Amino acid sequence: MIRLQNVTKVYPNGSRGVEGLNLHIKKGDFVFIVGSSGSGKSTLIKLLLKELDPTSGEIIINRVKTNDLSRKQIPYLRRNLGVVFQDFRLLPNKTVYENVAFAMRVIEAPSRIIRRNVPAVLSLVGLGQKGRSYPNQLSGGEQQRTALARAIVNNPPILICDEPTGNLDPETAWGIMQLLDDINKRGTTIVMATHARDIVDAMQKRVVTLNKGHIIRDIEKGGYDDEA
Amino acid sequence: MRPSTIRYFLKEGFSGLRKNLLMTVASIIAVAACISIMSFSYCVVSNLQYMMDQMEDSIGISVFLEGDVTSEEIESLKTQISQIEHVTNVTYVSPADSLDKLKDEWGADEDIFIGLDDENNPLSHSFQIELDQIESQDAVLTALHNIEGINEDNVEYGQSVSELLVKISNVFQIAGIIVMLILGVISVMIIVNTIRISVVNRRVEINIMKYVGATDWFIRWPFIIEGIIIGLIGAIIPSLLGLPLYAKTVSLFYNYVPFVANFIRFRLTGDVFSFVLPAALLFGILLGVVGSVTSIRKHLQV
Ligand SMILES: Nc1ncnc2c1ncn2[C@@H]1O[C@H](COP(=O)(O)OP(=O)(O)O)[C@@H](O)[C@H]1O
Ligand SMILES: [Mg+2]
Repeated sequence: MIRLQNVTKVYPNGSRGVEGLNLHIKKGDFVFIVGSSGSGKSTLIKLLLKELDPTSGEIIINRVKTNDLSRKQIPYLRRNLGVVFQDFRLLPNKTVYENVAFAMRVIEAPSRIIRRNVPAVLSLVGLGQKGRSYPNQLSGGEQQRTALARAIVNNPPILICDEPTGNLDPETAWGIMQLLDDINKRGTTIVMATHARDIVDAMQKRVVTLNKGHIIRDIEKGGYDDEA
Repeated sequence: MRPSTIRYFLKEGFSGLRKNLLMTVASIIAVAACISIMSFSYCVVSNLQYMMDQMEDSIGISVFLEGDVTSEEIESLKTQISQIEHVTNVTYVSPADSLDKLKDEWGADEDIFIGLDDENNPLSHSFQIELDQIESQDAVLTALHNIEGINEDNVEYGQSVSELLVKISNVFQIAGIIVMLILGVISVMIIVNTIRISVVNRRVEINIMKYVGATDWFIRWPFIIEGIIIGLIGAIIPSLLGLPLYAKTVSLFYNYVPFVANFIRFRLTGDVFSFVLPAALLFGILLGVVGSVTSIRKHLQV
């Protein structure tokens, strides 16, 4: 589903984001990308989203070599990738319902399908009653659930999360993790960058560890510090 | 495109403008000023042109021949005059024809006609010359003077009025185009800025749109709609004000200077505005689109 071959990203100012990454993620995987701050997690996520292009190496998503995609094709790549960030990125002047429906509107989904899918996905993330609320009327956890609903409403095969629990207290974070686990069990491939040791240890999923831009550990099932 | 998508673009376009009301109003005023100048110069120039056309129909150049002329001389002169460039028609008028015409115009019973008949006719042999346009008059006059047997004293033409009209028309045309261009550039610049602010206001939204896979054009359209709305409103306002203003001005003119109506007719309001209205709308839209596209290119890195 996702394959990186010898991927290196050097930023224009010369600082090294990631270097020589080789990674293969299969359909249905749940993969943690861990590492301390500055280890290159966000750089890897941005490469997957084609927000950045690699300096060298190949990235293949869904059998498509994304290096070769033209600007015009990028939106269609992104429709395969749901994305959730640490800071939620909700539109403050739109309701929860509108925030989620927005993701369908901009890819020109039929109104009928929007009216059907948005309530369904809102109840899936436990916000069935909050459709009319505005983001500033919600707790952090509820805001992140809204963002999650927006990320999965178009049913992308891959969900990419960059520190999705970074702004949440441990209990709320745990709720989000259960939700991600549910979504993964429904068949969605999940790539989640985090430096939350407790969460990674508790989930016992695949863990890829970055250090100064290099993959230093890749274990099939384990915790934050487990040896390969 | 889905109707719901078009509705979405319109809604976003209008809401973008509402959130940025001051700049929107400034843009609309700039476009309206530009379109007013365009419409005003068109009204003036097209009316002057219309008047000149009327005069061209009636004026032309007349050449009067002195004394008795043989029919061979008449034929030869007629051929020479016909060959002058810009001359579209030459008619020979005999003294008898002229007399009949005068009698028609003044009434055959007038005292001045007593004792005048075909045998005793003081009027000259003459040619009526028609031109393709008033602007050609000078060239034709020069050519006429070069013909053997014709000199300045033989030639009559509607000189001063036509030359003045040509000059006024040219001045309005050139000044109109210059002012219009300047205002057009200013309008585009203000629109570019208005759309820029709109883009900045919506950068979070644009960012999210990109992540969920909106195409570049889907992101651009609401801003282009903003430009079109500015252009349309900026065109409609002066057109709607200009139409009754033109009609009123013309009727005032006819009322207060009634004798003028005998030899000058203005173009009908309907005729003028059946051109001005669509031209204004098109030009307004053009300004809006040029402004928004320029702004998108500079400020929207999608
Ligand atoms: N836009 C950027 N320009 C230059 N250097 C950057 C940029 N973003 C990240 N970096 C550098 O790349 C390295 C990895 O950063 P990042 O991927 O953000 O790490 P993480 O997400 O694991 O904290 C760091 O050394 C950082 O300074
Ligand atoms: Mg990061």
